[in-house]
Amino acid sequence: MTKLTLKNFDQETSKEEKEIKNWVKVGMSTCGIAAGADVVMETIKKAVKENGLDIKVIKTGCVGKCYAEPLVEVKVENMPQVMYGKVDADIANLIIQQHIIGKKLLNDCIYLVAVKDGKNG
Amino acid sequence: MGKYKKIIMIKDTNTGNRTSRIYDLFLNSLRERGLEDDVQVVRVADINFYNKGVVARILPDNITYVKIEESDIDRIVRISIVKDDTVKDLLVDPKDKQMRIVLRNCGIIDPESIDDYLKFDGYKGLKKVLEENNRDKVIEELKISGLCGRGGGGFPTWMKWNFAKSQQTDTKFIICNGDEGDPGAYMDRSVLEGDPHSVIEGMIIAAFAIGAKKGYLYIRAEYPLAISRVEMAIEQAHQKGLLGKNILGTDFSFDLGIRLGAGAFVCGEETALIASIEGKRGCPSPRPPYPTINGLWGKPTVINNVETLANIAQILLNGGKRFSNIGTEKCAGTKVFALTGKVKNSSLIEIPMGITLKEIIYDIGGGVLNNKKIKAVQTGGPSGGVIPEEFFDTCIDYEGLQKLGSIMGSGGMIVMDEDDCMVDIAKFYLKFCVDESCGKCAPCRIGGKQMLDLLTDISEGRASCDHVDQLKRISKAMQKASLCGLGQTASNPVLTTLKYFEEEYKEHIVDRRCKSGKCELLFIYEIIEDKCKHCGLCQKKCPVDAIDGDRDNGFMINQEKCVKCGQCFDVCKFEAISR
Repeated sequence: MTKLTLKNFDQETSKEEKEIKNWVKVGMSTCGIAAGADVVMETIKKAVKENGLDIKVIKTGCVGKCYAEPLVEVKVENMPQVMYGKVDADIANLIIQQHIIGKKLLNDCIYLVAVKDGKNG
Repeated sequence: MGKYKKIIMIKDTNTGNRTSRIYDLFLNSLRERGLEDDVQVVRVADINFYNKGVVARILPDNITYVKIEESDIDRIVRISIVKDDTVKDLLVDPKDKQMRIVLRNCGIIDPESIDDYLKFDGYKGLKKVLEENNRDKVIEELKISGLCGRGGGGFPTWMKWNFAKSQQTDTKFIICNGDEGDPGAYMDRSVLEGDPHSVIEGMIIAAFAIGAKKGYLYIRAEYPLAISRVEMAIEQAHQKGLLGKNILGTDFSFDLGIRLGAGAFVCGEETALIASIEGKRGCPSPRPPYPTINGLWGKPTVINNVETLANIAQILLNGGKRFSNIGTEKCAGTKVFALTGKVKNSSLIEIPMGITLKEIIYDIGGGVLNNKKIKAVQTGGPSGGVIPEEFFDTCIDYEGLQKLGSIMGSGGMIVMDEDDCMVDIAKFYLKFCVDESCGKCAPCRIGGKQMLDLLTDISEGRASCDHVDQLKRISKAMQKASLCGLGQTASNPVLTTLKYFEEEYKEHIVDRRCKSGKCELLFIYEIIEDKCKHCGLCQKKCPVDAIDGDRDNGFMINQEKCVKCGQCFDVCKFEAISR
């Protein structure tokens, strides 16, 4: 890993990285894990692999909606960015099949966080 | 942002019962126009509005309509979907009550990746500080920002730093206080787990400003995930040249270590925390001298709370002025609260200072669970107090809460409803402090125990009116004579419940009754014959078969068997069970 200095800081940190267009974020703090986020994470990783999807699965901290843990946020091309709450293995599979592959939002599972589409909080 | 098909999100924000019906009507309306393939209607679980009737949000236009009636649906589809216009009379501007500075990255970045943090302006504050290479300017910027300690005390951060900076010695320390111990509070844990680099960056800047070469994160051992993520973050920062010798290629060097707290509440007090790091028993010592002058191993030490430190990088990066514009005139910035208890949306929230408790409970928290009646809110943990409903319009800042007898504290906020007994609550918090008292000073050690005995008498029906006077007298003594914050504030929950809920104490003392059904010896469950409809639900629900009788002859609770669990009371639709 290159050490950062005052001189190379901007250059090193703004390295052109291909923008990730499709991602799934799973809230994996103590609160999320206690509610079953680890199972959800495994399920999603497995489903992404099995279906050969071009999706980055990212582990994040807690976004604060404790009452709706485990939380899964999804952004895929041509779809709004949404947060699913109270996700279990079944819902996780539905997210993959219906939302990511079928491009249709799931009923009764979305917990809105963003007021502005595409931007949090 | 790519384009996508229109989406209508709907939710009945009152009872939830009408969501399905409205959903069908929207589908019908779209079908009539042949739009069913172009527009998706979706029922959502939470639309960020509460008690505003049926709410719909249309994406990607981001239009929100509230209080929608069935007769409005056709209009909405005609105007908002077909014509791309807005239905003005239903339109609202959804303003988010929250504002995220400390929690800016929590839930957004991968906490185990320094590259992710760097992508979100990470360590840019530090870079700016080291480029300018002016310690006075850092402190000046903090002074402008008006940032105060978020651990609860509310002492101006710049002043603390300035005291330590002005000490002429080579060895100084910076400590991050992550010994979060209030019941129901988890702000620090979330920050450490969700964005550890923000705290580390804050500590490096603090170290530069005061001239420290070594820092410690004091984290309680009950937070294993937080500890492992912080360890990982420190390691990554080393690899990137952000910690260790010659940070960012400058001649400034600083390193961090982690010290684990064994879960003693008193170790959140700064002098006790220092003793604990030094390997001594976690007991507080009298101040002054303050740690900024005589702290860890006798050296000047700045101790800041996790949340305070997480604020630092943003302030230095964007300027103190911008931070000072957030919140109120006297109290700048935001505060993170862990909103829990009998509230629909238990959540970790960050709000600008100055909004009211009402806004927090109803607009963010979504109101009280199970539509019960709200009684009070407890802030500040065992050092804080309860605030009754009539003061929910109070603005949240250090002064506002203090005037009510409570404190801001580190950010626990527990909502209580009619089922919570105030004597029981006072007893719970006092018991916590009695258990956690280190025992060094007499007022706290003996006073706490005596008060707990008095409260137990009240909750078990053995008290007289003298008990209240005695409670008040001991409280005063503890406030005045205790060595540290724990003892000085331990009586706050008792004093505030006495102040705002004297009636409830009287009921316990004079009538020997606990209407909330918490103090076991002071109530019994009984079936009111006139109201009972003989449905038998209570009998089915009773886990110990304590309800005798049948649907023809009515029911009776067998007091000898009853364990007072309250399930019959909750299940009865006719309010035919009294307590």
